[in-house]
Amino acid sequence: MSAILFILFAGLAIGCAVAVVAQRNPLYSAISLIGVFVALAAIYVTLAAPFIAAVQVIVYAGAIMVLVIFVIMLLNVEQEERRRKRLGFLVPVAIGMAAILIAETAFIIYSVQVSGAKPPGPTSDVGLTHSIGVNLFTTYLLPFEVTSILLLMAIVGAMSLARQGKLLSATARVVPGAQVLAMDIARPHGEEDLTAVEADTTAESAHLMGVEFQSDPEERE
Amino acid sequence: MDLSNPYIHAALIIVAITIAFLTIMLVVAATVLGERRVLAFIQGRVGPNRVGYFGVLQPFADFIKTMMKEDLVPDQSTRFVFLLAPMIAVVTAIMAIIVYPFGPAVTLPFLGTFPLVIAQFDVALLYVLGVTSVGVYGIALAGWSSNNKYSLLGGLRSAAQMISYELALGLSLIGVVLLAGTLNLYEIVEQQSGWYGSQWNIIYQPLGFILYLIAAIAETNRVPFDLPEAETELVAGFHTEYSSIKFLLFFNAEYINMITVSMLATTLFLGGWNVPFAEYLFGRGTLLFAFVCVIGFFAKIIFFLFLYIWLRGTLPRFRFDQLMDFGWKFLLPVALLNIVLTATVLFVKGSWGG
Repeated sequence: MSAILFILFAGLAIGCAVAVVAQRNPLYSAISLIGVFVALAAIYVTLAAPFIAAVQVIVYAGAIMVLVIFVIMLLNVEQEERRRKRLGFLVPVAIGMAAILIAETAFIIYSVQVSGAKPPGPTSDVGLTHSIGVNLFTTYLLPFEVTSILLLMAIVGAMSLARQGKLLSATARVVPGAQVLAMDIARPHGEEDLTAVEADTTAESAHLMGVEFQSDPEERE
Repeated sequence: MDLSNPYIHAALIIVAITIAFLTIMLVVAATVLGERRVLAFIQGRVGPNRVGYFGVLQPFADFIKTMMKEDLVPDQSTRFVFLLAPMIAVVTAIMAIIVYPFGPAVTLPFLGTFPLVIAQFDVALLYVLGVTSVGVYGIALAGWSSNNKYSLLGGLRSAAQMISYELALGLSLIGVVLLAGTLNLYEIVEQQSGWYGSQWNIIYQPLGFILYLIAAIAETNRVPFDLPEAETELVAGFHTEYSSIKFLLFFNAEYINMITVSMLATTLFLGGWNVPFAEYLFGRGTLLFAFVCVIGFFAKIIFFLFLYIWLRGTLPRFRFDQLMDFGWKFLLPVALLNIVLTATVLFVKGSWGG
């Protein structure tokens, strides 16, 4: 039974993974990647790791890929044309990398076979939420905290990069949909109504609206 | 009958899934009719009352009529994704029902004792959140594949709205999880059992309940958060180009989502199938007790569905920037505050208690 499930989901994962690379349309690649994540989650369930499976679906399939698809839809990326091989010199490097990967996989399979370790059965509680939580907050507390600080740094870094060069003033609002809604800039003391112009930066939108743009919100007060 | 036999077990689960599926479909039909009648009442109209007594057969008549319509596919659409999108929407919506406990353990002749829940597992709550979060693809891909500006805008709005409110939704549930100490929905319901309903989580998590309710309405794209299908702006939003059975699938998905979201609210905050005094009157484990509990469970769901319809008849729609501000600058901080409060209270209580 578990062998059938494994073949089913592993096949799905491999098929989708090949499709991610082979598809010329970026949206199809993204959909295939979602298929890979869902198939992997199913394999985690058969390996008695339901928590990892659920988190895999919530975080990767449910959050990250939604953002990816959102961006692809927003930018309306055209289907990539079939073109001649660029960067052809990378082909031998890629073959070498693939060979290393296959060798590593073979080594892992071999060493597992030699050690005679058995995979956790469906009754194992290693993958349950309780044991993961206990281990995360006792044995592995330091790595856990370090990782969370790393994530926090990444968020702050992304914010500061996005704000660099005062692309957007503090009063400008970005709404998903390729528009900068610059209400305070156009009419600082006007009524609360949004004026929308299509522009990439606040300066550009201010130019389009024919108003003077001041990058620092304090100066206007 | 031997329940431990895997084949009998699998057969029973298939029977249970079929019963649950048909029940949900009947509730969907009843909700559609109820929505039209209640909205008509709110707006001072009569509403559908011609097909069957009080219009009870109206949803079925609508179903047949919609099925008979021509199945249009836009010429420039992405056909495969166009077909896939409604399937994703309805499958992810219906998948969540397997973890909800419909009632307590019952003892039946020949079958033995078993709880009225299809699947009990460790991460049931996370499973619900995961399945719900995948549901957004149905709407987003439908918007993209239709090759229609209104559809695309609807899909984009929906994607942005759902990632924003999913956070608040998930965080509003953490208080309950902290109280219960488990993600297993059946155990969470068991912990809330008591004679008078004094163990219901809504008493300990009123803030979490209100936050969940708001975020859930946004997740299901209902008024006042129905921007993905705002008919005054976007014709019909993401499903503008859909007709016949594909439209029906989207329509069903929306109502199934309403029902499952109401089920989660009932399970986590209103004690699930627990009915005050039922245990005292009928005794635990009897068939009558189980029957009353199932009725009670559905009564609570119907209350939430009525609330949805009531809101639709009452509230105007948000503007998109208001929606985003509300989600990120109000719901999210308040949900975090709720977690901190709950954790602090639990910690203080734990350290005083021993």
